[in-house]
Amino acid sequence: MNTRPIYPFTALVGQDTMKLALMLNVVNPGLSGVLIRGEKGTAKSTAVRALADILPEIPVFRDDPYQLDPNEEFEIYREIRHTVRGEAAGADRPEVVMRKVRVVELPVGATEDRVVGTLDLEHALKKGEKRVEPGILAQAHRNILYVDEVNLLDDHVVDVLLDSAAMGVNTIEREGVSFSHPARFTLVGTMNPEEGDLRPQLLDRFGLCVTIEGIRTTEDRVAIMERRAAFDLDAEAFAARWQAESAALADRLLIARSLYPEVQVERPLLFEIARTCLEVGVDGHRGDIIMLKTAKTLAALDGRTEVATDDIRTAAELVLPHRVRRQPLMEIADNVQALRARASAKAN
Amino acid sequence: MERTVYPLAAVVGQEQLQQGLLLAAINPAVGGILLRGEKGTAKSTMVRALAALLPEILVVRGCANACSPEPDEDRCPECRRRFPDLETDSRRARLVELPLNATEDRVAGGIDFPRSLRTGQVVFAPGLLAAAHRGLLYVDEVNLLDDHIVDLILDAAASGENRIEREGISYRHPARCILVGTMNPEEGELRPQLLDRFGLCLEIAGSSDPEERVTLMERREAFDRDPAAFLAGYQEESDRLAHRLAQARAFLPRVHVAAHLRGFIGELCRESNVAGHRADLVMEQAARALAAFEGRAEVSVDHIRIVAPMVLLHRRRDAQPPPPPPPPPPDEQPPDEQSDDTPPEENREQQSGQQPEEPAPQEAGNQPPPAAEPPETGDRQEPEGRQDEEENGQQPAPAGREDEFFEIGATFKVKPLSAVKDRVVRRGSGRRSRSRIAQKKGRYVKSALRPSDDLALDATLRAAAPFQRQRAGSADGLAVHLREQDLRTKIREKRIGNLLLFVVDASGSMGARGRMAASKGAVMSLLLDAYQKRDRVAMITFRRQEATVNLPPTTSVDLAGRLLAEMPVGGRTPLSAGLVRTHEQVRNYLIKNPTAQPIVIFITDGKCNVALGEGKPVEESLRLAGALAQDRRIRTIVVDTEEAGLVTFGLARRLAGAMTAQYFKIDDLKAQALVDIVRGQHP
Repeated sequence: MNTRPIYPFTALVGQDTMKLALMLNVVNPGLSGVLIRGEKGTAKSTAVRALADILPEIPVFRDDPYQLDPNEEFEIYREIRHTVRGEAAGADRPEVVMRKVRVVELPVGATEDRVVGTLDLEHALKKGEKRVEPGILAQAHRNILYVDEVNLLDDHVVDVLLDSAAMGVNTIEREGVSFSHPARFTLVGTMNPEEGDLRPQLLDRFGLCVTIEGIRTTEDRVAIMERRAAFDLDAEAFAARWQAESAALADRLLIARSLYPEVQVERPLLFEIARTCLEVGVDGHRGDIIMLKTAKTLAALDGRTEVATDDIRTAAELVLPHRVRRQPLMEIADNVQALRARASAKAN
Repeated sequence: MERTVYPLAAVVGQEQLQQGLLLAAINPAVGGILLRGEKGTAKSTMVRALAALLPEILVVRGCANACSPEPDEDRCPECRRRFPDLETDSRRARLVELPLNATEDRVAGGIDFPRSLRTGQVVFAPGLLAAAHRGLLYVDEVNLLDDHIVDLILDAAASGENRIEREGISYRHPARCILVGTMNPEEGELRPQLLDRFGLCLEIAGSSDPEERVTLMERREAFDRDPAAFLAGYQEESDRLAHRLAQARAFLPRVHVAAHLRGFIGELCRESNVAGHRADLVMEQAARALAAFEGRAEVSVDHIRIVAPMVLLHRRRDAQPPPPPPPPPPDEQPPDEQSDDTPPEENREQQSGQQPEEPAPQEAGNQPPPAAEPPETGDRQEPEGRQDEEENGQQPAPAGREDEFFEIGATFKVKPLSAVKDRVVRRGSGRRSRSRIAQKKGRYVKSALRPSDDLALDATLRAAAPFQRQRAGSADGLAVHLREQDLRTKIREKRIGNLLLFVVDASGSMGARGRMAASKGAVMSLLLDAYQKRDRVAMITFRRQEATVNLPPTTSVDLAGRLLAEMPVGGRTPLSAGLVRTHEQVRNYLIKNPTAQPIVIFITDGKCNVALGEGKPVEESLRLAGALAQDRRIRTIVVDTEEAGLVTFGLARRLAGAMTAQYFKIDDLKAQALVDIVRGQHP
């Protein structure tokens, strides 16, 4: 691991929607991920890494490939050691260490067995024992799973990936291995729509979706170049300069996390959500549920315990564009408000 | 791993779904249930919730197969051997989920590899079918599963036992499970014979009542906030439902069906023109389950009425093709309006039953209103000059003719088209052509000596067998001694996608009499099919003097669809140029992907009139076509768009002949056509 500082999240210029979507997912992992659609070179992966960097450290067992939570998942840990690795059931509680949230990357060429995990063949041949070689989903538990070019991934892999993301559990049923382990992660996918879209069904599994573009104003572009140059020149000094803001943001995220369970929504606002989803024509109910969660998280992020109408409007822009009912061969919607206006105009 | 599941009693709405699931759970003879519906409609939630309500069953202790200790039950070989000396346990029937990544050996069961090595005996490791015995087997996205796995499951579910005869194992165990499948029809259909294997089928949609949607959100939030408390709140209701389910199961054998009601069932099935007799049997069993659930000993007409839709939904076939819908009045319908309102399969189903003369919608002012009667004369009312142009390619085309744009005509379900099977190993996903595959997916067909980490244990053990005595001294502590040279790996087979290269004739002659709309409809249908089979697509159009690559090979079927909608039509027919461009594209693609099997689909009437060189256009194009067909990896298909009439040129057929291509009229492409011909409904 290199100790080179990571570009600070707060120093990123523009791309507010993307930053917001990422922060929302960090505050509330229940939002089931964000899909970032946009061109190359728009700071997508920088933003994800930067955000991971300011998150609070998490406790893990030392050398645990499944990243289990020592506080809540000790039983599972013992079970895995026992059944999968063949160690004594009464194993002592291993040492707990703190470490940063990781950004686990899924390469485009990843095969299914690398993603879900598979039988450790060498071990089986040498020792005649069954041992599971954990896959990327095990690594991603309690971390951020970053999937670049998710639309270019093998279809089957995407299915498997989103299935685990939705369930929070990875189940392996292959090559004589039958085993499941928790896999709850913040899923961040990126794609360039020019290279083909994801199937609607897969799109629906991503909680939020943002479409980003390169920044158009000259000043901002200059600011980006200047900051980047300063960072490349002396990364540590640059990071130090943004330290205060980063700390403030980290605090804000933590507060939002603790605030979230207390956020209340008034009933009329729930109806607003339901009506919005009905009017723009969304398949199923996942849109409603995610929209409600997003609105609540937005309120929490703002330090409120009461959802406002604006939260719902903002949530709609993040939650609905990729869910608006369409056939496999139609384009994705870009503006929810316009769609809504059109829908209500048609009704009148 | 245990996880908290959302209680069935707390699901908002979806009464029919709940009822269907309960029926399937009460009476396994119903044969499972298939849930079809859009995404996010609580399909999975409800299935998992149902599992929490299943009654306790008595099982043989330690048996992976959950064998029953009752004397006259079928058992797995191990329990058969130990019978009647069996210890028993009581536990809730299980829900076994079949993940999409499941391999054949885990579904049906296979060799327990490490234990076999240690003990020197073939040890059988039971698969998911064994685990699901007497429980629930849940297959999410059953339409996305590999065909051979689906076959396996449905076969076991139908026969009630799982037989394994492969990889050196001969093994049989009972596998009676309640099969629950879910699918989103947008992503591709199940084959009809597989559909029929599911006893019941339900179509699920989200609720459109804001009140219900709000309740749903509230409950979901409450559940997410504190699952334990939420569960406790519904405990009483859940218990009552579980109790009722257990009672109904116990009561089921006493439920009786009167003879005259059997007649009624038969009548219902006959009316819906179902194939075979499974519908009748399933309907009777489902009605009995419903009666049992209500505590009635006698099935009533109402019970049958309630279950009939679930039984018939996926089996109904229309006796008579429905009359074709009247053609939309020209110029009133914006291009995307129509496709907005009708879901794709509905659209397709409608079309497949129709008579082929269905005129496609077209733009006004092009020619007389759509001809509903089949064109019977060769006397076409076309703009001047066109006839000449078709017959005599050397005449210059009238200058300044405007480009025309045509809507996409009606789409339909396409007949299966696939590349020829060979022995080349490929990588890829999709579901079009069967191929040997370089991934750990697909069906294990045989083993080979070649490096890969996909070990074939049976073959490896056989290879090692002769040397065992000689290696007996080695100190690895295993009963079987393996060496590097023994290792055999699996050769697998599965379906993958192809490149579909569409070569579309966009010349003026295609614009006549709405042929272009119909052609576009055909291309669109092929594109939808390509989407479901996960193909790559590319498109070349030729018109005026040249051919253009509109879309280089891409997975974005959407893009192709959009281009198709915007494609202008007009001008002369440079078929030769199209062929040359096609050759270029395919050659480049094959250089990059040497093992690919592109399928080139020509949509043309073959009436070419622009040559590249000095020769006659038709002869030149036939010669070029012959050259294209030289490469055996390329498969060609010609879709002839020429109308049937007194004067036909049959040039597309000649083109097909030159390439040894498969030749279709647009109507022949329809999946329904063959069935219609057999039934004598096709002219």
